[in-house]
Amino acid sequence: MTRRKRSGAARPDRGPSASGARLWTWLMLPGTLWMTGFLLASLVLVATLAFGTTDPLGNPRFGLDFDNITTLADPAYSTVLLRSLGYALLTCAICLAVAYPVAYTIALHGGRFKNALIAAIVVPFFANYLVRMYGWSVVLSDDGPLLRALRAVGIADEDTKILQTGAGVVAGLVYGFIVFMIIPLYAALERMDTSLIEAGRDLYGGPLRTFFFVTVPATRQGAAAGCVLVFLPAMGDFVSAQLMGGPDQIMIGNLIQDKFFQGQNWPLGSALTMLLMAALFLGMLGYLRRTRKDEAEAAR
Amino acid sequence: MSPEALPLTRRSFLRAGTTVALALTAAGCGFASDGDPAAAAAAHAPIDVKVDGDLVYFNWADFVDPAVFEGFQKEYGVKVVQSNFDSMEGMAAKLNAGNRYDIIFPTAKWAQRLAAGGRLRTIDHGRLRNAEAVFGGYGYFADPWYDSGSAHTIPFTMYKTGIGWRRDRLGDLTGSWSDLWNEQAKGKVFVLDDRDEALGMGALKLGLGLSTGDPAELDRVGDTLRSLRPRLRGFSSDSYNNLLNGNADMTQAWSGDMASMLAQAEDPSVFGFEVAREGAPVNSDCYAIPANAQHPGTAMLFIDYMLRPENVKKNIEYIGYPMPVRGTEDTYAALVEPFPQCMVTADDLGADLFFRNGTAAGERARDAAWTDVKAG
Repeated sequence: MTRRKRSGAARPDRGPSASGARLWTWLMLPGTLWMTGFLLASLVLVATLAFGTTDPLGNPRFGLDFDNITTLADPAYSTVLLRSLGYALLTCAICLAVAYPVAYTIALHGGRFKNALIAAIVVPFFANYLVRMYGWSVVLSDDGPLLRALRAVGIADEDTKILQTGAGVVAGLVYGFIVFMIIPLYAALERMDTSLIEAGRDLYGGPLRTFFFVTVPATRQGAAAGCVLVFLPAMGDFVSAQLMGGPDQIMIGNLIQDKFFQGQNWPLGSALTMLLMAALFLGMLGYLRRTRKDEAEAAR
Repeated sequence: MSPEALPLTRRSFLRAGTTVALALTAAGCGFASDGDPAAAAAAHAPIDVKVDGDLVYFNWADFVDPAVFEGFQKEYGVKVVQSNFDSMEGMAAKLNAGNRYDIIFPTAKWAQRLAAGGRLRTIDHGRLRNAEAVFGGYGYFADPWYDSGSAHTIPFTMYKTGIGWRRDRLGDLTGSWSDLWNEQAKGKVFVLDDRDEALGMGALKLGLGLSTGDPAELDRVGDTLRSLRPRLRGFSSDSYNNLLNGNADMTQAWSGDMASMLAQAEDPSVFGFEVAREGAPVNSDCYAIPANAQHPGTAMLFIDYMLRPENVKKNIEYIGYPMPVRGTEDTYAALVEPFPQCMVTADDLGADLFFRNGTAAGERARDAAWTDVKAG
């Protein structure tokens, strides 16, 4: 009784756990400073610039001009935003469908080749994204190797095209970001208690039933993390739509890029960026709620 | 450290972060600052044509024959430090941010904006041995609209905009912007991913001013371009690759790109290039020396060196763009023999179909029209 009083209440911050906390605080200091400084600075810049104007030399000027905000009411922007949302969601779904079997095979059946297989997936992503996308656009072009081969075996005809279609853009996005789905799924599957799968089989679950009712729920968090990691960059991407898309596949990222690089209208670009961030924030909020609920359930 | 120190520290993190943010915001205002009078006066001081350091060069990528650079480095014992931009806006943003270059290559419209904003040094043509071949041979450039008396610039290249097409698939065209609406090319037509070029094409087709900023006229231009959408495959400035890899049967294209394509096409005779009778936008990239250049003397030497006929010829052959230097016309004519319309003549310049700078309201209207055209 007295002992607890002395060590617990009288000097609560001199114990070993307190000095540990101090060490972690110091270790967090540079990262926190860095993130706070640059994130806040860029956010403040973008947010204030959204109310600015452009001078004749193309310099952005800060101001209190609501023109850019009202311009966003133009239906062109909502069309493009919804289109981007659709592409990003579809990209997530396809990535999930493709990445699960890949991650599953490597994590549970990769054996001693596990690391090599992961490397084989990750290494190509060291090459610049733009270069890889450009390569794709050549492969998928009308006279490119893929369509030539498909035509030779009679699957495609003269009018079949992949480039400048929505399918082309989504193909580019899936290729570009699928690694962000495979890695968290792999990590989740690696961590998963495989005896659960055996238990599922013991209870007469077929491979599919076991997968959907045991493996998927057990790796839900990895899948959710993968979806966020794919969805966020896919939503803001502009390279895929630029290289694989046609006039009807423009995404919100292309409009933002245009405002900053072509139109030199940074204020409007900033307003569009804020719009995109607001849309992404809603998605992020959903994810955070979901994971918090999951954690609460796990803790119970 | 007292127990209370931790929350305090976190708060001070935030305070420090905010300070940094505000400082950066203030620095951000810096790139919008007005030039001071002393700098403006210095911008007009004549430049001594002599080596005063290495040349810091800023241009589109791959726009000068590497052999020409080598020759310059060897002859004057200096290094050329290269960096590249991929749009005029990008170039201006770098200049505005305070980056220092010795020589830049703005287009006509941007030369006017930069000169008006006090960002360029004046260039005394009398000090350049080879300037006479430019201004004596191409009277247009002696006093162009974008730079009175060419006080701040010397033209580097000239080009115009037309239609490149697959002759083997479409046969001959009619020589009008309406050709882009060709039924046969449906689904295989590209328009340049460039606000001014796309809107300019629509305006010329309708007989309107090339750089119109009038909202009612821009509505008509937008309608015209939207009527092209069912035939349109995309907005792309990669004209010659689109033609070469078969994605395009027809594309709006810059003459210089079409000339470069000739070197890569297996059989150039399957391609064609025409300029429309309604008018072809014409443009020029210029040599200019930024007001804050650290080695303007070397920049002057470089311009003079680049204007030597033998170097002009090398560059013409390398980049496929004609240059307004007397005596080099045959080199270009030989290069673009299959596409004679790539030549830029005194008449083309005289027609004066350059993209002009508009008013703030006009530019905003053009931006909005372009967004509507692109977003569909």
